[in-house]
Amino acid sequence: MKNFLIYLVKIIGVLFLSLVILDGLYTLVFLQSKNRGKIETVFNSGPEKYDVIILGSSRANNHFVSQMFEDKGLKTFNFGISGSHLFETSLLLKLMIERKYKIKNIILDADLSIANFKQSEGVSAKFLPYIHNSNVIKEHFMSEEDFDALYYIPFYRYIKYENKIGFREVFYTAIHKKTNVLENLGFYSLSKNKKGNMKNDIRALKPIQNKYYDEIKKICAENHINLIAVMTPMCSNTKGLDYFEKVKKIYPEIHNYENAVEGDQYFSSCGHMNDAGARLFTTRILNDFFIKK
Amino acid sequence: MFFNSFAFAIFLPIVFILYWFVFNKNKSTQNALLIIASYYFYSCWDWRFLFLLVFSTFLDYYTGIQIEKAKKESIRKFWFWLSISVNLGFLGVFKYYNFFADSFSDLLNGFGLQTSPLLLNVILPVGISFYTFHGLSYVIDIYLKRIKAEYNFVDYSLFVSYFPLLVAGPIERATHLLPQVKIKREFNYQKAKEGIFQFIWGLVKKVVIADTCATYANAIFDNYSSMNSLSLLLGAVYFAFQIYGDFSGYSDMALGMSKLFGIDLLRNFNYPYFSRDIAEFWRRWHISLSSWFRDYLYIPLGGSSGGMAMKIRNTFIIFLVSGFWHGANWTFIVWGFINALYFLPLLLLKKNRSNIEMVSLNWDLKSVNIFFNIVITFAITCFAWIFFRAKSIGEAFSYIKRMFTNREFNFQFLANDRSNYELVSMIFVFVLIEWRSRTQVEPISGKWSLLKLALAMVAIAAFGTFSDYKEFIYFQF
Repeated sequence: MKNFLIYLVKIIGVLFLSLVILDGLYTLVFLQSKNRGKIETVFNSGPEKYDVIILGSSRANNHFVSQMFEDKGLKTFNFGISGSHLFETSLLLKLMIERKYKIKNIILDADLSIANFKQSEGVSAKFLPYIHNSNVIKEHFMSEEDFDALYYIPFYRYIKYENKIGFREVFYTAIHKKTNVLENLGFYSLSKNKKGNMKNDIRALKPIQNKYYDEIKKICAENHINLIAVMTPMCSNTKGLDYFEKVKKIYPEIHNYENAVEGDQYFSSCGHMNDAGARLFTTRILNDFFIKK
Repeated sequence: MFFNSFAFAIFLPIVFILYWFVFNKNKSTQNALLIIASYYFYSCWDWRFLFLLVFSTFLDYYTGIQIEKAKKESIRKFWFWLSISVNLGFLGVFKYYNFFADSFSDLLNGFGLQTSPLLLNVILPVGISFYTFHGLSYVIDIYLKRIKAEYNFVDYSLFVSYFPLLVAGPIERATHLLPQVKIKREFNYQKAKEGIFQFIWGLVKKVVIADTCATYANAIFDNYSSMNSLSLLLGAVYFAFQIYGDFSGYSDMALGMSKLFGIDLLRNFNYPYFSRDIAEFWRRWHISLSSWFRDYLYIPLGGSSGGMAMKIRNTFIIFLVSGFWHGANWTFIVWGFINALYFLPLLLLKKNRSNIEMVSLNWDLKSVNIFFNIVITFAITCFAWIFFRAKSIGEAFSYIKRMFTNREFNFQFLANDRSNYELVSMIFVFVLIEWRSRTQVEPISGKWSLLKLALAMVAIAAFGTFSDYKEFIYFQF
């Protein structure tokens, strides 16, 4: 039995060592990542200057045509991330500030995400490779339930989120395989989808005093950034459209553009406009906020 | 509590420590601990079904003794049939009632009689097919005077409920397991090491092969109408590796952990995908079930003794029953039927026992033939797996039809955001490892075992699928 226990200790030692080595290797690879995703790009970037930065979920990513801002002489990038919540948006902004970005304006998609203060695990996982390399990330995750495991157990975060930051992603990062996420200045255009589901039911959503939205507001105020928070269009066949009014009651400064673009021909699905819709909407935003009358 | 769960990683070491350091005075204390651990393990799924397990155990224990004690044949028969009917009754109610009610209703509807069957809203107790078969074999063996009844209830309960085999086998025999639980187990360093190797290799099969293949197979089977011929072909192959990795991985983990407690369980898999014909495949796949059906169904039906016609009839019966054992769905019955059809030429040509020895390949013409036979056997096995995996027979036929008529053979990007070539490479490496280690129980033991163990653990951590899929397929049976 004594020999077996010694053998078990050896196995545990080898396992621990393997996990530490794997953790180090994976992190090292992610620290070189520059052409895979928006989070990795921001983390591995230096000081940048922007006139306009777009933040939020897919409803930011698919709705603001960065090039149209550029055409007006505004250096712009769309950092909207599909599937993200305000938890990740706030952290991404904090990272930009940590990287000493100089930003004049932030357009924030703040509508459906106001109802949610939880993290979107699929997106937040992308920050985790850097948890030991950034105090901002560490502190942001500190209040999460599994922080200790994620932070202290070597390689645990790569195992838990293997479909996002596992071997496959490490391999593609190592060989510098590009994604299309950073193309078109971050804007992802959706095509007209004939089969798109042109109805939606958001009656279950309840807007709340969202601590991450408040955090974003605070960061912007501290760094003299002009925050333009907007609610972006939904298709007309949406049940529970009064949600947007409820958001407005809690946060009167958020501009309600829910019905700024009408007609199913401008939508790819009920919550996402197609390219034509996005261009129409971007024109409206440019006119309302960036073109002096 | 799954073998590959965090909870089990806590449970197993605790039981191990208690077993060897606290309850190691004699076999009774060892057995008592294993019983408590097994009941706790089972109750983690649903404690209510623990009563069913205890009742089933008590029934077979009691009827076993009554059969042995009975002086008159009629009384022996009474206790025997009581046990058989109650055991099969439980299985019938929990597993098959809704299927029969539904099928009967469909049949009546087919004749124009509109009926809506009275269905039971019950969940299938985990492992019921396995522990029922344990009990059945025990009672049948006593009835046929092959073994003596067990009078120690704790020992008998352990035979039925031993947690490594409780929910998905292997289906043990009283002649093999009971003698082991009737003596005090002494710790054996070599056996325990082998146990660790086998457990870890089982975990590799489960989380690296089976769970990864599952995400691909699901992406293909769930969207088969938009898949091309190559993807559909690969979908069947992925499912073949999924079910193999899942079930043989589970068996390896069960056998491995049991060795830690000084108990050997029956081997359940012996590299079935290197079989040269379907008869050899069935001697290597789910061995404990195949041999159960052979001993308790095929041979009592007359086996091969009554000429070719009886042989064929009995073969079809055991394959159909085996299919039905897997689940209450026509897809499993068709799967069993297809396997029986595969068996037919071998029976007619009397070649069903021609590939007994371990397969080997050299650089000669004979080896080309052997290789070809292995590929053909694997291909027809994959074809049958389509029925096993499909939700309905109609879906299986549509899948097969599209596979043969689409005729596009480019790698597709799948719904799980992955491409086929990534998994094909992984399966290729796995097959090479299995081929090299086909003469041993697992590939880790032998020279450089600690290094190989480390590599296996790295493979689990780095290549395992942890986010999408966890449950063992055979738990549903």
